[in-house]
Amino acid sequence: MLRFWLTSSALVSGLTILVVLGFLLHASWPLLMDQGLAFVSEPEWYPYEELYGLAPVLLGSFWSVLLALLLAIPLGLSAAIFAAELMPRQMRSLIRFGMELMAGIPSVVYGLLGLWILLPLLENQFDLLTGRSILAAGLLLAVMILPTLMVFSEEAIRSVAREQREAALNLGLDWSARLWQVVLPQAWPGVRTAILLAMGRAMGETVAVMLVVGSLDRLPDPLYNLLQPAQTLTSRIGREMAEAAVGSVHWAALIMCGLVLALVAISVSLLAQRQKI
Amino acid sequence: MNGQITKIAVIVLALPALLLPGLGLGYILLMGAPALSWEFIFASEEGSGFGASRGIFAQLLGSLLLAVGAALVATPFAIGTALYYHLLASPTQKHSLNALFNMLQGIPPIVFGLCGLIVFVHMLQWGVSLASGAVILAAVILPMLVLNSVASLERIPVEYTDTARSLGLTYAAVIARVWLPQAWSGILTGLLLGIARALSETAPILFTATVFSGVVWPDSIFAPVTSLQTHIFYLAQEGSSEQAIQVAWGSAVVLILVVAAFALLARILSRNASPQSNSSVGEK
Repeated sequence: MLRFWLTSSALVSGLTILVVLGFLLHASWPLLMDQGLAFVSEPEWYPYEELYGLAPVLLGSFWSVLLALLLAIPLGLSAAIFAAELMPRQMRSLIRFGMELMAGIPSVVYGLLGLWILLPLLENQFDLLTGRSILAAGLLLAVMILPTLMVFSEEAIRSVAREQREAALNLGLDWSARLWQVVLPQAWPGVRTAILLAMGRAMGETVAVMLVVGSLDRLPDPLYNLLQPAQTLTSRIGREMAEAAVGSVHWAALIMCGLVLALVAISVSLLAQRQKI
Repeated sequence: MNGQITKIAVIVLALPALLLPGLGLGYILLMGAPALSWEFIFASEEGSGFGASRGIFAQLLGSLLLAVGAALVATPFAIGTALYYHLLASPTQKHSLNALFNMLQGIPPIVFGLCGLIVFVHMLQWGVSLASGAVILAAVILPMLVLNSVASLERIPVEYTDTARSLGLTYAAVIARVWLPQAWSGILTGLLLGIARALSETAPILFTATVFSGVVWPDSIFAPVTSLQTHIFYLAQEGSSEQAIQVAWGSAVVLILVVAAFALLARILSRNASPQSNSSVGEK
């Protein structure tokens, strides 16, 4: 009886992920039957004409995540170094508490903040029609992943062995040499995991992105134009899921977006785990 | 000299990250405070008014129902899995369970929403409902609950188990008499954090569990609810009127306070239970 409970619950929890992938694949099958695999690189998404190109959303997700990481990594890592190396203990726990608070703010509230502060700011700064753009999504995501990055990097930096630091000190290395040549290389595996976790988080974020990204299904022109409204994998799902008819090719195409998201997320987390060993 | 420059650069770069939490939270409170009143929280308006006019009691209730429901669904599986991991799993199984849960944790919540939409809403015909939302959120918080329960089981000194076994207790008795009494506070901490997490998810319930307005207490678990998270989202998206935005900020403050209350409770509990708590496993 006990054994049955334990084994079956372990099976259910362990297999959840396979079940999820299985159903997604099953539900997106009509699209594969209809269009083959070519849709992945098609530039046009226009459900009324049966065009389901994924290129705009893939590019949108790519740019917003890249932008968020480029902004958040230097800031978060510096904050982690500052907190771990330069701060007294009490201050450090205060900062940690602040970061945990920030991590606990629901993403929809970040969306509200983005809508209310970020969009008007971008509108004025860049003289745009609306501030809704990849840039807005990237900035907002950067703020949202900052706590993850900082908390995990700080842990990694603090776990660098004391002997190593002392040895470096005895060699007469100054602060920056100790940081660059001893502490950061030692902490790098942990920092890398933090970055990958943050990346996964940024990629899967939905409602906050939906509110600021503009939801325009078109490739930016030129491709690196970050000031245009755009669409990401998640925002497209959130925007159109309620409208698509169950079982239609449009529906299957949206499920396919989810499947792509899940597969990329799984690869990222595998990458993060490999680093731990 | 070089060291000084690096130090200054690090501090300058760190400042925004250190100031942001305070500024962001302060701004939200500032924007939301004017809307807050007892009436705002405890009044609810049925049917009319498009939700933007008065209280948010129904939304608050819906959010709590969804989150607590998710915790109720996920807990038996989480504890069962953790016990399996601790008691029955071979090293290989432990390794693969760890890998699976880390993967599961990395899956974006909206993917669970999609899968739930396919399976529960349409295939099982549960419709857009409390039940669908609770099960989907349960999947979102499951890995977190499992990892937390495993961690609290592994904190039990191995001598306790050995002693209990040497007294001739069966494993069922060891679990009931030794492990659960020792680990319950850690497990409960994880549960509270799980509820806090479920309360802050919006995307997975957006098209599987909630409607915009018109529900105060769902008729059955197969009826839709309203929730604070989606309420904020709809108001932010559609609402251009002053009033709607005001309600959105007020709801945001209430949501943050509720989430923080659960997180705080978890913190107090874990501090009382053990000097150091660590929610991750498998790093050894």
